[in-house]
Amino acid sequence: MSTATTDKRAKLVTQQDRRRQEVRLGWMLAGPAFVVMLLVTAYPIAQAVYDSLFSLRLTAPDERDFVGLQNYLTVFSSTDVFWRAMLVTILITVLAVAVQLVIGFALALLMHRAIVQLRGSLRTAILVPYGIITVVSAFAWYYMFDINSGFVNRWFSWVPGISEEMDWFAETWSALAVIIASEIWKNTPFIALLLLAGLAQVSDDLLEAAKVDGANWWQQLTRVVIPNMKAAIMVAVLFRTLDSFRIFDNVFIMTNGDAGTEVLSLLAYRQSIMRLEIGLGSAVSVIMFVCVVLIAVVAVKGFKVNLAEGTGSNAGQKKETK
Amino acid sequence: MIKTRLTPKQKGIWALIAVVVFIYALFPVVAIFANSFKTPADVGAGTFWPQNWTWQNYEMIFVGEAQTLFLSALRNSIGITLISTVIAVVLATLCAYAIARLDFPGKRFILFTALAVSIFPVISVVTPLFNLWRSIGLYDTWLGLIIPYLSLTLPISIWTLSAFFKQIPWELEQAASIDGATQWQAFRLVIVPLAAPGVFTAAIIAFFIAWNDFVYGISLTSTEAARPVPAALAFFVGDSQFEQPTGAISAAAIVVTIPVVILVILFQRQIVSGLTQGAVKD
Amino acid sequence: MTEPRRIPTKLALRGAGAASAAMLLLTGCGADEGTPVLTWYINPDDGGQRVIAEQCTEEADGEYEIRTSLLPADAPSQREQLARRLAAGDSSLDIMSLDPVFVPEFAEPDFLAPVPDDVAERTTEDTLEGSLQSATWDDEIVSVPFWANTQLLWYRESVAEEAGLDMDGEVTWDDIMQAAESTDTYLGVHGVRGESISVWINALVESQGESILEDPQAPAEDVETTLDSEAGQQAAEVFSTIGEEGLGGPGISSMDEEQAMRLFQGDNGSFMVNWPFIWAATNAGVEEGTLDQEVLDDIAWTQYPQMEEGTASAPPLGGINLGVGADSEHPELAYDAVECIVSPERQTEYFLTNGNPPSSEAAFDDPSIAEEFPMADDIRESIDNGAPRPQTPFYNEISETLQDQFSPLSGVDPETTPGTADEHIGEVLRGERLL
Repeated sequence: MSTATTDKRAKLVTQQDRRRQEVRLGWMLAGPAFVVMLLVTAYPIAQAVYDSLFSLRLTAPDERDFVGLQNYLTVFSSTDVFWRAMLVTILITVLAVAVQLVIGFALALLMHRAIVQLRGSLRTAILVPYGIITVVSAFAWYYMFDINSGFVNRWFSWVPGISEEMDWFAETWSALAVIIASEIWKNTPFIALLLLAGLAQVSDDLLEAAKVDGANWWQQLTRVVIPNMKAAIMVAVLFRTLDSFRIFDNVFIMTNGDAGTEVLSLLAYRQSIMRLEIGLGSAVSVIMFVCVVLIAVVAVKGFKVNLAEGTGSNAGQKKETK
Repeated sequence: MIKTRLTPKQKGIWALIAVVVFIYALFPVVAIFANSFKTPADVGAGTFWPQNWTWQNYEMIFVGEAQTLFLSALRNSIGITLISTVIAVVLATLCAYAIARLDFPGKRFILFTALAVSIFPVISVVTPLFNLWRSIGLYDTWLGLIIPYLSLTLPISIWTLSAFFKQIPWELEQAASIDGATQWQAFRLVIVPLAAPGVFTAAIIAFFIAWNDFVYGISLTSTEAARPVPAALAFFVGDSQFEQPTGAISAAAIVVTIPVVILVILFQRQIVSGLTQGAVKD
Repeated sequence: MTEPRRIPTKLALRGAGAASAAMLLLTGCGADEGTPVLTWYINPDDGGQRVIAEQCTEEADGEYEIRTSLLPADAPSQREQLARRLAAGDSSLDIMSLDPVFVPEFAEPDFLAPVPDDVAERTTEDTLEGSLQSATWDDEIVSVPFWANTQLLWYRESVAEEAGLDMDGEVTWDDIMQAAESTDTYLGVHGVRGESISVWINALVESQGESILEDPQAPAEDVETTLDSEAGQQAAEVFSTIGEEGLGGPGISSMDEEQAMRLFQGDNGSFMVNWPFIWAATNAGVEEGTLDQEVLDDIAWTQYPQMEEGTASAPPLGGINLGVGADSEHPELAYDAVECIVSPERQTEYFLTNGNPPSSEAAFDDPSIAEEFPMADDIRESIDNGAPRPQTPFYNEISETLQDQFSPLSGVDPETTPGTADEHIGEVLRGERLL
């Protein structure tokens, strides 16, 4: 921290006292938030790990048995349920994040270059999907495509493959397409804003130099802009990936897991909240938690995403990247 | 930024771009808005706009049959979200101040924890919380949602605020200290006014996130005593046991979207800066 | 930037106000008035249960007050909400409107307060057979029947005529499938993945004199279903034919009871199996002007279709039973209230106002019923012949697996689906498979 402060204060208190005071004040101020965060996550996940070792059904509370890793075995061996849900979750995550990145980047470029008069209204517009409740967005998309109330079939019946009699939520692929579309619509603004902040950090001098060298628009983009905002892109992708991986609301509202659209969060919910099979549900929950940790670790170690520098809140700040 | 005067052609292109972006951003909202004015017959007709505009869906949720369900959910949502936002922002302000301003062991770990909590799969903690809540009587209460909502609102508030606080000119605080103020006085008199916009921004973003919650809302409540709006939407019922309440859900959806739109229109600048760099500068 | 600074304080104040409002709510008003408040968790209806609550409160004359609290729309969600609260030992669960299929699950762990013998006797004196079965677990009455439901075969007279089908005689599933095909119309059946799938498959199996579940009392590990049998395959055949030949229309995968009714009212409607609510709903549609009188005039009804010609069908049974929570603070008062609620006069009135048929014989005898519901006798006969869905504490798991296997209809293979369903149900209940 600022040594200048310490030097001046040294006249009044000894440096060590000052230091001790600062540490105490620091923890006094930051402690409550820290403790609350641990209480609402670390404690429950520890409890989930413990619960996952038991066979416990709430409607038969007396038959609680220690079963060791049996619940995990059951989960892993339910190929057509668990692994399928895993696959669907990964598919949604990958497709949604990829498209979000492309559209988000386009939106960011637009806003970056937009004339001043338009900036405010463009930002306001794209913040609406960001702020809207996911459940509301899910209903909006559901009603648009629903065979009984939607207008999409009517409007697009001229497109090959779409007819007035198409039931989007009856087939896995079409249902997933709508789910992914709503996920993209809702979350692209967030990614666009992160990338916009990243764009602002790309130095104009570099761009000028590239222009002087005769680089065209595309070359400027791929050789100068993107490499210089790699950190912001990686952080944005990681955050969106982790968020998409826990997708729940959209699927719950639109299909409730029917037509082969079950995702991991819904699977966990189904076991523990609907069936009240606490043991099995906890096992699925713990597995999901481990997946999220793995994704984060791989991103940080494998792709060198610097999370401490580039979170959602300061991704745009100047990076001292090597 | 384009500083030169625009040719009519450029103007036209920008107008077109603006229209495309607007359609992209608002189309689903307009669609559900149109739904909220449809009669049950219109809902089945599959057109975009209603054939006969009607207020009956709004009547249903405000004075009609869905009134108890919706109004109590609205009250719950507003109350629970605001309380957890306020608690989160107060705790986060203290925490972020310490992180931005003081040097103490473990502060990187606190930031790391906030990050870890924000990427935590909510569903993973819902089962144990449900089990704990039901045994200590917090199940289906406001407090039973306020506490877990902190896991949503605290991390984002801490990050937004510590980024914001890092950019505050702290020399002012030193100056105040030299003038004889204690660190607390310096904090209260000099820094608080400077920090308030950031705190407000963090509050809006935290509010959005808590307002959006669904998983806790459906898992930890079961009646009108605490059920928030997103969960209530999923439990709306039609006129008969077998009727789809499309119109009423749409109307309720529009009602809960209004505060979001107002906040976005009034504070887009702050929200964007809060989401990106915690800076007030544009 | 002074404006935003002030706002957080305002928010905080409002938050505090809301918090104190919540405290008021939590402590519950009226607790000190001396009249015990009974909470009745009701399934959504047309407001009839709320009216009954008021009437019985009045009748109790200060002994108790009934307040209603609304449950979600579909039975599985109702079960979910109630099971969670019952498991939480919630003392506010005084009276609950229960779908009969979940009665065993709640009765087995003693989540329900035992029905006093005299109450059981008085309330089930003249209960229709199907309804009585659904109120029983382990040979004891554990809940009190409030109303009963059943499905009839509704048809458009014009279509039956065109197909040359004699509706006064015995009608089978094959008959109506052929008729729909020959007249190029759609059958109103419920193909949406939901409880209606289990309702349907159970009725098809029971109509052949068989049952899905061998021993309803068996513990989880030993539960065995018998879909992989002649009867199960025949039932699967009906599903698969309707699915593959598109007899249920293009929206079959999202076709629930209401959608089926809309299809039936439309130009392509022909035959439909459905609950009697459609009668009131169709009449209302005509009154509101959204439906033509001709449609209503064209509608007729008969008993649920048979599987084998000559063997009487076993129509689906539904309805609501009332249960009292084991942790209720006033179980005796709650049962007093239950007695008031299920009295035959109220059942009659509930049928007339809300379209939900009585479970008591006496309630059916009221002359006003025949006036309002020309099909009342058919409903009564149908309830009498009806077969409940498997009465087991594991109904939820069984039903979910059935729904998983038997939807979408076009994916049902009569050769393999029943066997897979049996296998999966066993595995789920032994904890070897996720749902």
